[in-house]
This record gives sequence, structure tokens and C-alpha cells, in this order.
Amino acid sequence: MANPTWILETRELTKRLGGKPVVNEVNLAIGRGEIYGFLGPNGAGKTTTIRMLLGLAKPTKGSVHIFGHDIRKERIQILRKVGSLVEYPSYYGHLSATENLEAVRRLLGVPKSRIGEVLSIVRLTKEADRAVKGYSLGMKQRLGIATALLGSPELLVLDEPTNGLDPAGIQEIRELIKSLPGSHGVTILISSHLLSEVEQMATRVGIIAKGSLIYQDGIQMLRERAKSRIRFGVSDPEAAWRLLLSHGYQADWDRRQLSVDRTDDRTVAAIVAQLVRQDHQVYRVEEETASLERIFLEMTGTEGSL
Amino acid sequence: MMLRLLSAEFLKIRKKLLWLLVALGPVGVVGLQAVNFGLRYDYLTKQYARDLWGGLITNVSLLALPAMFIGLAIVASMSAGIEHQTNAWKMTLALPISKRQAFGAKFLLNVLLLFVSCTLLVPFTLALGWALGFAAPIPAGELLRAAYYPFLACMPFVALQSWLSVTFANQALPLTVGIIGMIAAMFGSRFPDWMPWKWPLLVNAWHEPLYSVGLGLLLGAAVFLIGMLEFARKDVK
Ligand SMILES: Nc1ncnc2c1ncn2[C@@H]1O[C@H](COP(=O)(O)OP(=O)(O)OP(=O)(O)O)[C@@H](O)[C@H]1O
Ligand SMILES: [Mg+2]
Repeated sequence: MANPTWILETRELTKRLGGKPVVNEVNLAIGRGEIYGFLGPNGAGKTTTIRMLLGLAKPTKGSVHIFGHDIRKERIQILRKVGSLVEYPSYYGHLSATENLEAVRRLLGVPKSRIGEVLSIVRLTKEADRAVKGYSLGMKQRLGIATALLGSPELLVLDEPTNGLDPAGIQEIRELIKSLPGSHGVTILISSHLLSEVEQMATRVGIIAKGSLIYQDGIQMLRERAKSRIRFGVSDPEAAWRLLLSHGYQADWDRRQLSVDRTDDRTVAAIVAQLVRQDHQVYRVEEETASLERIFLEMTGTEGSL
Repeated sequence: MMLRLLSAEFLKIRKKLLWLLVALGPVGVVGLQAVNFGLRYDYLTKQYARDLWGGLITNVSLLALPAMFIGLAIVASMSAGIEHQTNAWKMTLALPISKRQAFGAKFLLNVLLLFVSCTLLVPFTLALGWALGFAAPIPAGELLRAAYYPFLACMPFVALQSWLSVTFANQALPLTVGIIGMIAAMFGSRFPDWMPWKWPLLVNAWHEPLYSVGLGLLLGAAVFLIGMLEFARKDVK
């Protein structure tokens, strides 16, 4: 039986395509009300995983449980409470936004009033009667989100919803997504290839690289990995490093810079005093913070590959 | 559920040339016969002197058959193309509907559109007959049989074209199959009885059109079932 604390849980989820595992034994676990950031570089297997979550593709191995039910056995009941946007938005270009939503509404069987509601949530009301093929990418993206919201889902699965948008568009969609769990009690899975994009809204993140899930925990844990260091600019760093070590400080010298783990003011002052006493010239004492993005790049091993 | 799916299908083909095509098919067929009978009025009325209406219906059917083959290929391709264009399959099939029903709805839509086309043949043929001054009585039975028997005997091809068109995003293959079908249908009378392309002509060794209709319905159901199961089994692109 699936663990009831998770709204979505996969076990050893695997998909082989063209002979190689594109998604490899992935164990996702998402709790109710979370905004789960599903991160990974291009080609990591995010979309393939999401397709399996929605029953669009069959896993080669492993299982998907949503709301505690197996997607293979109860796909339709599960999908009644799931809204999704996969890869790029799909729409019927010759129809207006209202007609597009109506086509989906007829399949969901929700009241007609929902169309107006979701249009206003994504702020498309004014443009609703224009043919969608004339929409900008951002508007199409917003229509995609409106379609996903139409059935008042308990779980919203959004695959790179800000792909191809300008900074203002990204900001707008981010605000929209952030407002959903609060006002509607929705659980959200949002994929992205940029940590910075979900950093401000995700409560938990899963990082996938080359098909394998390499990290899954609170965003806070990830921030801790990005803890800062104190860097010293001195006249003879190598000698200074030996001096600090001999006095019991955990200093690092990597031929470019001398640094210690972030520590309290008193210790920093003691280190400086020690250096000055031994006639080292101290040019700077700086605090340096590794960005989350840097950690993400190091974890996914894509640094320098671009 | 099936009704909801169908109503969504009909909404999606709004503002598309599909409806125009559905009307244009029978208009073209009857229009060409109007030209034929107009130009060769004396010759044809002499040839069919004993049964003017029968002669007209035979001629309309002769043209309607290849038109039906190519028309249904285009209709199936266009109704599937609506989904292929922005790969809307991944949106539709992530909704709480069964893949079998989604396939069934596309097939049914194509059947209904073809049904409308075949139905339109009846009033158009009648109008032409009256315009040519053919006298009563109108052979109603013969006219209805000419409109609907080939339609029913054509079911294997409706199922096949529906299946091919939803399976391949590139419509070149399904349309080629449709064109081959059209050509085959024109030479159908030379084929042996077991060839499905012959069935819509309603000609068989027993001189019983209903046998052709029955065979068409049976094979149509079989092709539909295979296509539906295959569509449901496959991963969505
Ligand atoms: N039909 C296929 N046959 C073989 N390999 C495939 C097939 N479809 C996808 N792949 C491979 O699967 C991998 C994962 O693709 P996927 O679309 O899931 O990545 P993604 O994480 O969504 O990437 P992106 O950020 O670019 O959207 C890619 O390396 C891709 O080349
Ligand atoms: Mg992707």
C-alpha cells in the first residue's frame, strides 16, 4: 500500500527509451500543500517522468501512486483531481480561449462558470474571445495554466510553465503559482531547469540529472549546502595558511585564496590579530556566499558544459 | 461520456473547412452529373428511357464512390490534424477520459460527417431529377439504398483512415492510403468478391447488396477494435 502522507509517490520509476534508461529508479515523494520544484538540466528526464505521472506513458518499471491510488489501475479517477500542463501549451489555434476551455470543460463536466473564473485567475478575460493562434507565447502559456485549473484540481502538474517567457512574464506566472496553494489548497509539482526560478516559491525540491534523482529535500537543506565562507586577502597566503593551521583554525588554501568556514565575529577578529602579530599584511576580510545555482550546477554536473 | 466527447469534437471542428468539405462532396458529385445529363440529355434519356430515375441514381453512385473514399480520407485527416497541430493529444489524454473513448469519439465524428455527406446526396439527386423533368414516381427505396448501403459497406475504410490519421502526425501516409483507396474503388468491379474495395459497389456473386453491407460492417468493427486497442496501448507523443 502507498504511504498515505504523500499525495504523489513514485517507486523505482524507470523508463527506457531507445535502449537506455531516460528515467532511472526515481522515487519522488510529494506531500499535501507543497510546492515541489522538480529540477534538472535539459534532457534530464523531467518531461518523461511527468508523462508517466499522468499516465501518458507507461513506465518500463516501477509504480506511480497519486492520492494513494495506482495510476495504472485508477487513472481516470485520479486524473479527475489533477490539472496539468506538459512541455509546451497545447491549444486549438482556430478557436478562442473561451472555446478552448469549453472543449475541455465538456470532457470534465464542470459548471460553465469555471471558464470565467479561470480566465480571470490568469488574467485573460479581456482577450478571451480572440482566436488563440494570435496570442503571444505568454498568453498561450497562461491559457495552458487556465486549462490545468479548470477542473479545480487538488494536484497541479506544471512542466516548465515559464519556458520561453520574458522576465516580466516569468515573474507574473511565479506570482500566480505562489498564490494558488494559499487560496485554493492545491499541491503543485513544477518542473524547471533553473533553480533560481523555483527557489523563491518551492517548499521542497527534487533534482534529477541524467535520469536519476540526486537530491530530494527541503529547499532549506540546499541553502545550507550553500553556506558562506570568510576569505582573507593577505601578503603571503601560504605562510598565513600554515600559521592559521598551527593555531588550530580550519583554514583552506587552494593556491588562489585563503579562507575559513563562516564563523562568529570574535573568531574572525582573533584570526586577524594572529596574522597581524606575525607581520602579515591583511588587505581584505570578505564574506563569500556560494549561490544556490552554483551548487545546483555542481550537483547536476553540467558546469562548464555550455 | 461518449456524448460529452462527441460534443467536444463538434466544438473543435467549428470554424474549420471540414463542414464545407462535407457539403461540397455531394454538391460536386451531383453537379458533375448535372453537367453530364445536361450535355448528353437526349442520349442518356434514350438509354435510360425505361427507368430515368434509376439511370440517374446509378450515375450519381458511380461518381459518389471514389468521392467518398478520398473525402473520408481528408475528413479523417483534418479531424485528427486538429489534435496533431499543437500536439493536443497530451492535453486531452491527461484528462479523466479513457483513451479508448477518445479514439471512439474521433471515429464516430468521422462516421457522422460521412453520414451527413451521404444523406445530402438524396435531396441533391432529387432536385436534379426534377430539374431534368423526370416524372414521378420517385424510387425512394432505391435512392436511399444508393445513399446508405455504400456508406455502410465503407466502414472498414472509415476505421482504417481514422486509425492511420490519429497515429501519424504526418498525414502524408494516411492521405496516400486514401488516394489508393479511391483508385481501387474505381476499378472495384474487376476485383474478386473478398476484396473490401469491392464491397461499397454492392456487387457480389449472390446479387445481394446486403451481403456486401454486412461484410463491410463486420470488417469495419474489427479494424475499429484493433485500432482502438493499439491507440490505447501506445504512449502518447
Ligand atoms: N523516443 C525517444 N527515444 C530515445 N530517447 C528519447 C526519446 N524521447 C526522449 N528521449 C531522451 O530522453 C531524455 C529525457 O528527455 P526529457 O524530455 O524527459 O527531458 P527534460 O528533462 O524534460 O528536458 P528539457 O528541460 O529539455 O525539457 C533526453 O535525453 C532525450 O534525448
Ligand atoms: Mg521537458
